[in-house]
Amino acid sequence: MSLAIPNGLDNSSEKPGERAPLVLGDTTYHDITESVCKVAERKPSTSWVIGFLISFALLQWLTVCILYLIYTGVGVWGNRSPIFWGWPIVNFVFWVGIGHAGTLISAILFLFRQEWRTSINRAAEAMTIFAVACAGTFPGIHVGRAWLAFWLAPYPSLNLWMWPQFRSPLLWDVFAVSTYGTVSLLFWYMGMVPDLATFRDRSTNKFRRFAYGVLSLGWSGSSRHWMRYEKAYALLAAFAAPLVLSVHTIVSFDFAVSQVPGWHTTIFPPYFVAGAIFSGFAMVLTLMIPARKMLGLEQLITIRHLDNMCKIILATGSIVGLAYGTEFFIAWYGQVQEEQFAFLNRAFGPYWWAYWTMVTCNVISPQLFWFKKFRTTPWIIVIISIFVNIGMWFERFVIVVTSLSRDYLPSAWAYFTPTWVDWSMLIGSFGLFFTLFLLFCRLMPVINMAETKATLAKQHHMSHADKH
Amino acid sequence: MSENNEKKIHGISAEYESVDSLLNACRRVRDAGYKKTDAYTPFPVHGIDKALGIQPTILPWIVLGCGLTGTVIALVMQIWMNTYDYPYIISGKPYLSLPAFMPIAFELTVLFASFGAFFGMWALNGLPRFSNPLFTDPRFDRVTDDRFFLYVDASDDLYDSAAVTELFKQTGGEHINTVLEDDSPDKIPKPIFMMWGLVIATSVVPLLIILKMRVTNSDLPRFHIFFDMDFSPSKDAQQGSTLFADGRAMRTDVPGTIARGESGYDLDFMTGVQMDKLSAVDKPGAERLVRLTLGPIGPQDEGPADSAEEEVGEDDAPKAPGVMETIPWLTANPLGNSREVLERGQKYFGIYCSVCHGLNGGGNGLVNRRAIKILPTQKTQNWIPPSSLHQESLYAENYAEGKLFSTISNGIRKMPGYAGQIKTKDRWAIVAYVRALQQSRNATLDSVPSDRQEEIIERQNQVQQELQEQAEAEKAAAEEAAEN
Repeated sequence: MSLAIPNGLDNSSEKPGERAPLVLGDTTYHDITESVCKVAERKPSTSWVIGFLISFALLQWLTVCILYLIYTGVGVWGNRSPIFWGWPIVNFVFWVGIGHAGTLISAILFLFRQEWRTSINRAAEAMTIFAVACAGTFPGIHVGRAWLAFWLAPYPSLNLWMWPQFRSPLLWDVFAVSTYGTVSLLFWYMGMVPDLATFRDRSTNKFRRFAYGVLSLGWSGSSRHWMRYEKAYALLAAFAAPLVLSVHTIVSFDFAVSQVPGWHTTIFPPYFVAGAIFSGFAMVLTLMIPARKMLGLEQLITIRHLDNMCKIILATGSIVGLAYGTEFFIAWYGQVQEEQFAFLNRAFGPYWWAYWTMVTCNVISPQLFWFKKFRTTPWIIVIISIFVNIGMWFERFVIVVTSLSRDYLPSAWAYFTPTWVDWSMLIGSFGLFFTLFLLFCRLMPVINMAETKATLAKQHHMSHADKH
Repeated sequence: MSENNEKKIHGISAEYESVDSLLNACRRVRDAGYKKTDAYTPFPVHGIDKALGIQPTILPWIVLGCGLTGTVIALVMQIWMNTYDYPYIISGKPYLSLPAFMPIAFELTVLFASFGAFFGMWALNGLPRFSNPLFTDPRFDRVTDDRFFLYVDASDDLYDSAAVTELFKQTGGEHINTVLEDDSPDKIPKPIFMMWGLVIATSVVPLLIILKMRVTNSDLPRFHIFFDMDFSPSKDAQQGSTLFADGRAMRTDVPGTIARGESGYDLDFMTGVQMDKLSAVDKPGAERLVRLTLGPIGPQDEGPADSAEEEVGEDDAPKAPGVMETIPWLTANPLGNSREVLERGQKYFGIYCSVCHGLNGGGNGLVNRRAIKILPTQKTQNWIPPSSLHQESLYAENYAEGKLFSTISNGIRKMPGYAGQIKTKDRWAIVAYVRALQQSRNATLDSVPSDRQEEIIERQNQVQQELQEQAEAEKAAAEEAAEN
């Protein structure tokens, strides 16, 4: 184990009666500022440039595909009767799920005073916003006439003379996802203002000073400001935490409120929320482990952070596994023929490969995190979290496609085959996500410096108290 | 120096190295009675509110107000829109189904409360603020890095620069600095201001154009940014299509289709043949006729053309006596001869028959006149002129009522069948009208009821006079043309 972790950087061991340090080494406040700011101040590394170019190219490809789709029509997708939802909705639920870890890490861990969140929450929140941006793209283009997507909003229309149908979960979803995106953006931006002020005060070039000056809104670090700021931050966290739960609950209502066998179950809300947290944490790990290496932030994003996140993945992964089992049990116990068929069809029907990929990735692979060695070896964590990402995409595929492809009416059954546009859009959405994320890494404070300094102050205070 | 003296003094600040020394200094400053003080730190320092005597914020109340506003807006919006202004019935739920309105009520509560927390906090903090006299001190840049600052404002009642400086020194404050007015411009630079204005101005242009288009009328066709399915690639009736096996875009009726109002007729009425007699003589022929009349008309059957060809045309050389000769046609019109029937027959004859046969049945309708006109120039050698209905061979004694009906229904030579276009009853009405037309040429004045004879004579004279006048006018016109 010690082979993987240099001496002095292992804070993953538990000693009774002693708090493990969350900031390692003889770090000072200034060291924190230095290590975070240099990420944005030095020249971009070659790996960053290559990664950005690839992501940006994929983003352009996504744009081309969307224009092609709008010009030609939704027939360019593999969506067909009766699988009208297809990949766009699979991708939507996948990205929205990923978007949940950020605010969850920020808000819920903040409310529970889990201080280890401070060095990962910023990047996780950014990930949330970018994932919600990816997620929002798909229903927007899936409506067919994307240029009329604003009809979803309740506005007094002179063309329609009507209002939206507020008893539909699909409309709740519009409100939930847009509220979530907005609140996450406010939460993220508000958290960044003091750090943007640090960037402003360190910048030597006039343009940077102006840009960060505008973005930091004239933040001066006044105690009165801090007091209101902390109150507002706590309030936003308190709203964001139930919001996270409500958003994926409502996403699950899109399915659960319908009558399609395999969808019409009350287990969906908790099952979806657990799955969302699961996939979100996996994505955070997938991003953070290479990032901490590349940006040299090992002292701030420590093995202990990774260890904690792996434990959450293990817990939520087990919840998801339990949910899969419960679905089968209820299908058997409920004695509804269509439900029973739907679940047998999932596991042994034409999409058996998707189902067992999902089970392998989501249920079996995280069980490795029972072992500490796996929880503290970064490269293993990356592999497992990528597995989890794949598994969670397949979970949404299994739910959307297998249920729709064979429902009550056997004469309408069909098999879904994606087209090149489906593939391009899935890959292109990663382009959008990584373009935004890499820009964020370059231009914004990737770690919450102010809060990390506060954690360090507390750590100093405690070690003083111990000595006395 | 004189310039410096003219500058307004805002207060005095001192720099501290650690949280503890700052907290200590804060307590000393508070105890000394200063009110307008503030500490500046790189992160929130716990206990500093108490040390400085900062009052709690009213922000939570603002947030509560915003949150409740969100709830009320969401509920009123949903209830008004879906219950009163545009009620929908959805899966049998009541128009006012409160549980279904809860998710959006929750979301908007959170949204509005979050706006309240975010914007309320900035407003209470007096931010954004892009000019701050404290920032004139270059050392103050470290406030966002690792240094802690304490500040006493000059407007404090107890303010005295010497005393404050002394207090700072006692508490370990370094780099004590008199904060002077910031003389750098605090206005937004002009180029940025102008660019911003330009962006706003240009972004308004499309909106103004749309607004203008909405309120004015135009006789130009609609401008399509998106086609919105306005131009669907539909086929015309006679076009080919690769979509169907028979290669036709136009679809035939499903076999056995009966038009509305066409059911409940007996076979005699539908075929013009006495079916009982026919089936006694020629059973397969009768069956075929029934199939033809009731079943689909298409290539899979021996089509109507088949039977029509067998039919002996009135102009054709008489064929060897065949099946057609022996067909027991109906010899009387089942509709009778009432005025109502004749008027109906006249109407449909005018619509469907007169274009070829002429309004008087003479065989010189518009189509024929046109055909003859282009005959020398066009390759219309195979033009068969429509029959005159005033031939003896078509009179009732030679051409039974049923046979005439069958001809109208199934067509003959170039004439297509009209069964698909004219209803059965109306075809019989046409038969009656054709008989009336035929009779009109051979009728004498005596065949008209005596009380209407005078009317006829009067009309006859009138028409003759008109014809004469017309002929004279034409003659005069021709002479005039010749003179010129």
